[in-house]
Amino acid sequence: MSNTQYKKLPFAAVGIDALKTFKAFLLPLFLLVIANFSKFTLDVTSSDFWSSLAMIGFWGVILLFSVFFSIIRWWTFHYWFENGELRVKYGLFVKKKRYIPFERIQTLNYHESVLHRLFKLVKVEVETAGSSDGEAEVVLTALTREAANEIEKEMRKAKQQLTDVEQREVVLETPTPEVTAMYKMSTKDLLILASTSGGIGVLISGIVALLSQLSDIIPYEKIYGELATLAKYGVLMILLAVVVIFAIGWLASVILTYIKYYSFKVVVQEENLIITRGLLEKKRVTIPLKRVQAIKIVENPFRQLFGYSTVSVESAGSTSGEDSMVIFPLIKKRELEAPLQALFPHYEWQQQFIASPKRAQHFFYRIDFLWVLPLIGALSYFLWPWGALSIALIPLVILFGIWQHRTTAYAITNKQLVLRYRIVSRVTFYVEKHRIQSMTQRATYFKKRKEVQDVTIHVMSGATGATATVKALEEADAQRIATWYHHAKALDRL
Amino acid sequence: MINEPQHKISRKGLTVWRLYGIIQTTILIIVAAIVSYLTVRFVWPSWVHAIAWGIVLLSILFSVILFPKIRWERWRYEVSEHEIEVQHGLFIVKRTIIPMVRVQHVDTTQGPILKYYGLGNISISTAATTHIIPALHMEEADRLRGRISDLARVAEDDV
Repeated sequence: MSNTQYKKLPFAAVGIDALKTFKAFLLPLFLLVIANFSKFTLDVTSSDFWSSLAMIGFWGVILLFSVFFSIIRWWTFHYWFENGELRVKYGLFVKKKRYIPFERIQTLNYHESVLHRLFKLVKVEVETAGSSDGEAEVVLTALTREAANEIEKEMRKAKQQLTDVEQREVVLETPTPEVTAMYKMSTKDLLILASTSGGIGVLISGIVALLSQLSDIIPYEKIYGELATLAKYGVLMILLAVVVIFAIGWLASVILTYIKYYSFKVVVQEENLIITRGLLEKKRVTIPLKRVQAIKIVENPFRQLFGYSTVSVESAGSTSGEDSMVIFPLIKKRELEAPLQALFPHYEWQQQFIASPKRAQHFFYRIDFLWVLPLIGALSYFLWPWGALSIALIPLVILFGIWQHRTTAYAITNKQLVLRYRIVSRVTFYVEKHRIQSMTQRATYFKKRKEVQDVTIHVMSGATGATATVKALEEADAQRIATWYHHAKALDRL
Repeated sequence: MINEPQHKISRKGLTVWRLYGIIQTTILIIVAAIVSYLTVRFVWPSWVHAIAWGIVLLSILFSVILFPKIRWERWRYEVSEHEIEVQHGLFIVKRTIIPMVRVQHVDTTQGPILKYYGLGNISISTAATTHIIPALHMEEADRLRGRISDLARVAEDDV
């Protein structure tokens, strides 16, 4: 307990830290190098020599500074255990100290990047209940496995002592508590997950952004000229090109998902969910079950087709960069109830849904005409005659709206509200009354006339909070939810 | 339907919003004047004038005359023992319920224009959201702030 020996991070932390700082400059550097590649030269006689030299110098200085500051950070950073607290001090001119009582530590999250794994180190993020602004209380950039385990052991010891004083001796000798594996992803599941991941759109926009960045190298005008010739050969070729781009995007998203969710595992340990995942970068995230604010079941269209879904939780003060954390990346909808029931026994998983009324259907697509009609007009005018094909957007938008409308529903029980809605993926949002921070009903003039209302609820999650909205519920239904929520306090006490 | 929240915000709030509209319009007038000057100087087509001053006219009509009025008429709030309710909106009417147990802190703020009229905004924060009741009489805002923080203190809850 009175182990007041200062500890330092291993020296490799300098390298990891420096590279992390430098990584922020890497993308602009990469683009700059590519853009100026043709001009880059080390030939003194060339007119581009000095600018090339200046560029090397500039980035060299940045790299040097990253290393320099990392060394200072490493040099001044100390942590130690004292008086049942984890204490850290750091800073060169402004010295900072932070003491965290071990029993207050909510979670220890581990993160191993490729570099960490090279040195067999791990980054540890220490979070308390107070760390709700998206920042961990203490971040230990790199620790050896043993040192990380030591912290965990101290934390566990402190917590055990707090709960059962009598059993102290026994507890100290058996510090490893019971662990139950909750969910483990098989390779087959992982492949299904990867191939049905919805990240395609994001990737395509990424590719487009990249292409536009590279406009200096790729002779677009030439390509465009060729494309015009291509167009003469037929729209088929263009379609083919589009398909190829999609395929590349899809493949990339498969690979990324595979890397991210490789060997995904969830275990339950003392009221905590512990999630480990990652192929190149390994992550271990802890979610205290009592901090879970809401549960989200997401089915993207592909997965819905095959009866699969993804389950994530909104957790208060989750600082791992993502607001909602995936606990089951891929699970058959039918097989969902048992594990959820086991984890969250106070939720009710069987629901009687009440849908949005039929007369509200047009609210799901009518507003889209505001952008669809001008778009069709413009396309038809400028790209006649092929642009006129865009008229097919109208039935598509309507069908899509009807699809969204069909999904929209809510279910209410004594203590729990379930909202079901769709933007593209179908989301079923489970929340308990006492977790709802506020609720808003919303109606436009047109909706008021048709007696329908949107309902939005807010829950705490990560740094910013999370919301769920169902559109165009029957006014009486919206009011029913409001009335139910109105008496939050009285029912809270039950 | 549960009745609308009772209280309206101060009548002076409307004046302040009109003032904001006037400030905004003034900026637009300056921009329009510059555009007009450039149009004359570089002999741009004359419809540029029409667009520039049309926008100014629209701004006068909407952000000075119509919108503040609608918004002010719509604004309602009510603070009861168990919850705070607000209703507001221009085209979309929003009604929000904030239970007292969820309130984390209450602030009052006052800019120079609001100060001149003796008004203040009150902002109510929960763990996930922040809600603002604008343009209250300063005494009313202070009283409300005290009342909400008293009521909110009564119940502590787990998050």
